[in-house]
Order: sequence, then C-alpha cells, then structure tokens
Amino acid sequence: MTLRRISRRRFLQTTTLVAAGAAGFPTVLPRSVLGAPGQPGANSRLVIGQIGTGGMGATHLNNLLRFEKEGKVRLAAVCDCDDNRLQAAWENTQKQASPYRDYRYILERKDIDAVLIATPDHWHAVQTVHACQTGKHVYVEKPASVTIREGQAMVEAARTNNVAVQVGAQARTAKGAWQTCRAIRNGIIGKVRKVTCWHYASPQDDTPVPDSEPPEGLDWDLWLGPLPWRPYNRRYAPGTFRWLMESGGGQIRDRGAHQFSTILWCMEADHQTSFTVEASGTVPKKGLWDTAVDMHVVYQFKNPDWTLEWGQPGNKVGQTEFGNVFWGETGHLVLEWEGGYRPANPEAVAFQLPPGGKEVYRTDEYEDFNMNHKADWLKSIREGHLRPAVDIEIAHRTATLCNLGNLSMLLGRKLVWDGDRQEVVGDPAANRLLSRPQRYPYCL
Amino acid sequence: MIPTESIDRLVAAIRDGNDEVRGTAWQNAGPAGAPAIPHLASLMVNPNFEVMRSARRAIQRIVRHAGRPGAETEARAVEKELIALLGVDAAPATAPVRREALWWLSEIGSEAAVAPMSTLLGDPDTREDARCALMRLPGDAVSGALRKALATAPEPFRFALAESLRQRGEVVEGYPSQKLTPTKRTAVG
Repeated sequence: MTLRRISRRRFLQTTTLVAAGAAGFPTVLPRSVLGAPGQPGANSRLVIGQIGTGGMGATHLNNLLRFEKEGKVRLAAVCDCDDNRLQAAWENTQKQASPYRDYRYILERKDIDAVLIATPDHWHAVQTVHACQTGKHVYVEKPASVTIREGQAMVEAARTNNVAVQVGAQARTAKGAWQTCRAIRNGIIGKVRKVTCWHYASPQDDTPVPDSEPPEGLDWDLWLGPLPWRPYNRRYAPGTFRWLMESGGGQIRDRGAHQFSTILWCMEADHQTSFTVEASGTVPKKGLWDTAVDMHVVYQFKNPDWTLEWGQPGNKVGQTEFGNVFWGETGHLVLEWEGGYRPANPEAVAFQLPPGGKEVYRTDEYEDFNMNHKADWLKSIREGHLRPAVDIEIAHRTATLCNLGNLSMLLGRKLVWDGDRQEVVGDPAANRLLSRPQRYPYCL
Repeated sequence: MIPTESIDRLVAAIRDGNDEVRGTAWQNAGPAGAPAIPHLASLMVNPNFEVMRSARRAIQRIVRHAGRPGAETEARAVEKELIALLGVDAAPATAPVRREALWWLSEIGSEAAVAPMSTLLGDPDTREDARCALMRLPGDAVSGALRKALATAPEPFRFALAESLRQRGEVVEGYPSQKLTPTKRTAVG
C-alpha cells in the first residue's frame, strides 16, 4: 500500500479530505496539521511574511497581529529597507517575527506560505512576481502595477504558480460598495451610461530641495529597487512617492485604483477591457513631483456603451473630498470615497432587491473592511479556488485604466486601447511606454 | 525649421528665475523640436537644479511630441540629436545627460540608435541604463549588441546582460539569474 504524506501547504489548498482521498491513495496527515477540537491546529495557520511596514503597512501589520491572536495566521517575518521602520515593526510583533531588510530572505524560506506587500508602488509587480515564483500566495497593496506589462506579468505569475493574489482595493469586500453595487446592478437608477469621479488636486512641491544623502537607516538602493538609479532627494520618501509618475502615479493611480475598481464592479464591466482614453491635465511647474495637479480623463467603453470620467477636481456632487456619481436613466446615485471608509448613500443602504433580482456576493466576516478584505484572501486560499474578490487579473484591468489615463496625459493625445491584444492601436511610441525595464537584479 | 529666435526665447525662459516663466516654457516645449535639444542639453548641467530639471523636462516634451503617430521625420531628427548627446565628445559630456539621452532614445529610437546606445554598455556610469533602455527597442540588433557586450563586460554586469538576453528569448550559458538571491542584511534584531 502506498502512503502519501500531505504537506501542510497542500492541506491548506485542499478543500476536503474526501477530495484528497479520492486521488486513490490513503493519505497520512501529520499530527501537526490537525488541531484540538475547536482550535485550529498550529500547522493549519497560514504563515505570513510582511514586506513594507510604513504607511498603510502599519495597518496591515496590526491586522495580521489580530489574525494571529485569533489563531488564523502566524506572522513569521517583517521586512523593510528602512531600519527605523523595521525596528518599530519588529517591536510591534513583540520581537516574535524575524526582521529582514531584503525581502528575498523571506521568499527563500520554505516555511512561509504567503507574503503581504506594502512597499511603494514601483515595487509591487517585481515583489509579487518573485513571491509567486517561490510558490507563495500574495496580498499586495494597490495599484497592482505601474505599467501595463508589469500587470500582465503579475497575472501570468499567479496563474503559472497556482497561488492566490489579492490586491488591496478593499471596497469590493466592503459594505458600502457592496450596497451600492447591488443597488446599481438591480436598477435603482435604471441603466447607467455614465459614471463620473471627483477628486481633489494632487499636491505641488513649493519648496523644492536639492539631492542629498539618504537618511540614516534607509537603504536607498533597495528603496529604488527597479527604478533607474538617481541620487536621494527628500521629496521621494517617505510617502511622497505618491506624487512621482514612475511610482505612485498621482491621485488617478492611487485613489483611482480604488474608485475604478468599485465602479467596474458595480457596472459588471471587468470584462470590458477595450476602450478609448483621452486625458488632459496640468503638472507642477517646479519641484520633483510630476503627477497631475488637475486632470480630466474620459474613458469610452462599447457594448454596452458607457462613459467613465475622472476629474481632478471634477464635478463634486457629493459631500466629501472624493467620490463617484452613477448617472442612470431615472436619476443618479452618489458613492462617497470608494465604498470602504464611508458608508453607501442612504438610498443604496435601504435598497431592497426586486423579485428576481441578482444578489451580489461578498465575504462578510469582519466589520472592519481592512480585516474583511484579508479574510476574503485567506478564504480563497482555504477553499482552494485561489480567486479572491480583487484577484490580480481584475486589479490589472483596473490599473490599466489608471496607467493609460496618465499615459494619455503625458503624450497629449487620445489612445485607443485594444484589450485583447493588450496594446495601443496605431501608436508605437505609446506602446514603448507600456513597459519600463527594471534595474538589475530587481527585475521581473 | 524653427526660427533661431524661438529657440533663444525658449532657452532664456528655461534659465529664468521665475518659476512660472520657466514652467510654462518647458511645458510648451514640444513643438520646438530637434534644433532645441543641444541648447537645452547644455542647461542640464546648470548649477541651479530647477533650471536643470526644467531643461530635462523640456527635452522630454520634445521627445514625446516627436513620437506621435505620423511624425516620423521629426522623430528621426530628434533621434539624431539624442544620439549626439551620447558621445564622449558631446557637450555636455556628463553621465547624467547620457543616461537621460538613453532613456529618451528608448522611447523613439530606431535601429540606427542601437549601435550608439550599445557603446555605453562599456561605461560603468551608464551601462545599466544602456542595458535597460535597449530593452525597449525591438529587433535582433539589440540582442546582437547585448551578446557582444556579454563577451567583454566585467563579470558582475554579465549577469544583468544574460538576464536581458533571456528576456528576449535567447539562450545563454552560465550566469544564472540573481534576482531571487538575497544579499542585504539588517542590523535590526
């Protein structure tokens, strides 16, 4: 009789013991996999490493520590290229997680099942692809990528290596967006032909500073990673990478990654990958930051026909700093922010599904939508389908909108995007800019 | 042909101490075209870093304007000026200017740019940017240039060249990928 020992990783990916047994071989489960009744076994918890601990990374760290307290994960490692941040993160884990500067030490650990990536945007694709290539599931912050080709590489890496990649556009598992989505899809305002976004302007640097030495503790080479080498400047980091086109890509790539994700969900338009995009905007006249201060972008989709408009500042219909308006046949519906941090419009909250209406699924395990989005990811791994709510392919399509909006503005011309061929029609120079070769060894 | 006075005005505006004047100038520099490039390049070594930045951005605008569909003649003219910036005898012959010129050529360079860009694979200050920039250009000439450089490059750089060749579908003996090899230790903990 042949016995097959099942690894902990394989157990986590298998939905039932019956499925395992149906393979025809008796299966021996190590005792470490099974826990006591009512308690998850120590070895059934996902072992996670976090890469990037500043900014939103701090929230993620606290979330993972809460999951750990609940027995759902074990946080085995924390990583940051800034020793100051790394020290703080390590102490937050009561010095239980192993600290690293170089994320590749985490990737080479066979005991780590998954990584959470909260580094600046120019790192998202490379670290995600590398993690997938080492067989690890990934939760990565939005936007998925800063170029189209990066996004494609991320999708391919996830599929080839059969891992779950969740991108942190949390609204798709949040109550506000869900209520809006089911209301829109079930005709609260009739057919929607236009969605507009308003968003406040990006900041400008009114006091530019010269290049300088990096601060103590920051590994500048590692911070840059795939970006071309240049001297450190205080306006790059921390957090202000958001206003660099080659990294954060401005408000459209930052909040747009949230707002567009929610909109595509509500409009059931994830499959509408071809569109035209025409953008205009103004960028700062001085300083290091080069993303759009104000901007107007129009995306035109066909079959069904509808228009998406991004406005900085746009036409502010709601009450808050940014949000979206769905314009339908019988009225309009506002969604403040992106459907995560703010509640849905009261009409959407009160909306009742009509007879024969289409329910919309979302994971609903935590009131806190940051926790809930991670729970959705964990569930996709536990259940084995590996397709969380913001699977990398969905997030790539959202990021494509953001990235092409910026590209149209930079080139000063309308672009026709062929989603099947993944290229701009009739514009070789635009197609050159769909990729940005990475600095070795930080490459895809 | 753009009038010389227009280029003079552009250059004067880029050097202006007023942010608004400078900013408006570089943001509208696209149509100035190839003839403006050498003049703007000379400002890329100005001691005022905002003048330097504005000059660089003005050239970027020229490159992207020339790259539009139907502007092939303009693109070739711009390409020629950018290639001139790569040379060791170019003015200003500095590594930052050459690095920028490489990336601009990655956006609109034709096969004519491959050989001049490849010469910078042998310069320690520019070789990594040259390798990256060449990766954006299609065609066998690039693969040929990378393989030629592989034969003579210093050992550490050969790994990067091998990576590029493999990304272009070439088979390379030795020089396994280092991208998953950790190298940097922390003092924390």
